[in-house]
Amino acid sequence: MFAMMGFFVLLIPIPWVANDYIISLLLSLTMWIALTQSWVILSGFTGYLSLGHAVFFGIGSYVGVLIWGLVPLWVAMLFGGAVGGMFAATIGYPALRVRGPYFAMLTFGMAELVKYSVTYAEAKLGEFGRIIVSGPSVFELYFMMLGLAVVATAVTHAIASSRSGYALRAIRENEEAAETAGVPVVYYKLGAFAFSAIIPAMIGVLIVMRSTYFEPMIAFDPTVSFMIVTMAIIGGSDDAMGPFVGATFLTVLSEMLLTNAPPQLYMIFLGFLLIVFVLFAPRGLTGLIADRTKAALR
Amino acid sequence: METILSGQLLFSALVTGSIYVLLGFGLNIVFGTMRLLNIAHGEIAMIGAYISFSLFDLYGVSPLISMFLAMAVTSAFGALVYRGVFRKLIADSPTLARLEGNSLLIFLGLSIILQNCTSFFFSASPRAYRYLDDIWRIGNVAITYNRLVVLVVAIGLCAAAALFLTRHIYGLAIKAYIQNPQAAMVMGINIDRIQLLSFCIGFASAGITGALLSMLEQISPFMGFSYTIAAFVVVILGGLGNLVGGMMAGFLLGVLETYGVALTSPNLQLVLIYGVFVLVLIFQPQGLTGGRRAIR
Repeated sequence: MFAMMGFFVLLIPIPWVANDYIISLLLSLTMWIALTQSWVILSGFTGYLSLGHAVFFGIGSYVGVLIWGLVPLWVAMLFGGAVGGMFAATIGYPALRVRGPYFAMLTFGMAELVKYSVTYAEAKLGEFGRIIVSGPSVFELYFMMLGLAVVATAVTHAIASSRSGYALRAIRENEEAAETAGVPVVYYKLGAFAFSAIIPAMIGVLIVMRSTYFEPMIAFDPTVSFMIVTMAIIGGSDDAMGPFVGATFLTVLSEMLLTNAPPQLYMIFLGFLLIVFVLFAPRGLTGLIADRTKAALR
Repeated sequence: METILSGQLLFSALVTGSIYVLLGFGLNIVFGTMRLLNIAHGEIAMIGAYISFSLFDLYGVSPLISMFLAMAVTSAFGALVYRGVFRKLIADSPTLARLEGNSLLIFLGLSIILQNCTSFFFSASPRAYRYLDDIWRIGNVAITYNRLVVLVVAIGLCAAAALFLTRHIYGLAIKAYIQNPQAAMVMGINIDRIQLLSFCIGFASAGITGALLSMLEQISPFMGFSYTIAAFVVVILGGLGNLVGGMMAGFLLGVLETYGVALTSPNLQLVLIYGVFVLVLIFQPQGLTGGRRAIR
């Protein structure tokens, strides 16, 4: 935890010393850290696998582009987060009664449903992509994104070692047993779902400001969901360290190795990584390291 | 009202429905036997579609011939995926829940790999070719020959599937395994072989359906998602391992989609498919027959 917070503190002076390339790289790094942390709150702890986290991201973007110009950035961000959280709470009640692979498919289908519905609505309104004029500065966005990464990491860390964390993990290991032991499962599941939606929605608001452009097929791109899942699996998804490591590892890797390669190759590589980790290191990089240290100490 | 009752729409619904029946059948075999939910199912169909498309485009091979090649290639791929990945995964997984979660992630990785490989080699732009698209008029119904051919082939394949599951010794073994894996094992059914066979059949049926699809619609590397979803609706509504239920559900979905689009707008086609999917999962996860098997 100290290591992660130290890293975030080091990022504070960057905009004053580094160039645009570094700033936008770190912007995307903090974005992926925050997204993956919020995914872990639901899917890592409770085992309810969400393959549709892009939906919250997209809703945030949509809200952001609709209300931009009316309110300051931080209000837009909070409002986007609130809408995302409320959306999750609303669909969460029926959705979380469905379990296992059915839940995963449901989140995926819902994300696609919202994507095509928004596309249809936008076409009906005669809007084919909306443009943001005079958006906030990169400077402002950088600090807000950094803030979100810190908050997401702190929240995941706090939940991981709290009573709620044990309740959520109990749901993952055996929901009936947890309920029998007195864990209010519906309450915890819904809470985790809503929590894990708020930050992605806020990020959606920031990212649409950054790209200054809204198009439903891009804002609700299922690739985002896939990236989040892959980062969490590769890093590990049972504490705050896993998502941090996974997001950092993949972001740095993609910058170092594949800046000039076609994007498809990177996605193919990610697909292989995901399969390899699920098969051989289901607890992710942090799990591997933990096992190694344990073995070394013995 | 005239248009609603027209033979045109009915025929269109039949063709779409028969495609969904086939897709659902393949997904059902893999999901029913091993509880592995193949979210790459639509991508396997996409591979089949691209095999037929390339052979027609490059060498002018009729899709009616290349569909067998598509079937062979995807079937071999199914065997490879089972031997290479899933046999180990099934053996390693301590609980069914773990296995379900992990297999979902692996199929997710697989679908991303297939999509991007295709997009890399063929570019992401949609492709199509013209084959047997002359129009045949019966009364006031206009039918293109390729749709008619697809319908006939699909019905033939359904009949073959039904015969296989009810007559062939391996078909019966697969059904037994779906109904009760432990009992099937006790009765001496070779589980490893059944699982391998299920993968081959499941993938092959997706591949051949994709080849049929390529005759009708534009194909693209990212076409698979909505077909996976449609197949999944068919499996849930029809019931696990239930071929007759799957046929009913497939045609029902075809009717819903065709008439839904006709009554509203073609832009709503995907909204309809995903909408039906979400509603079915939330309200009717036990299927049309309301069977004994509880999913939740």
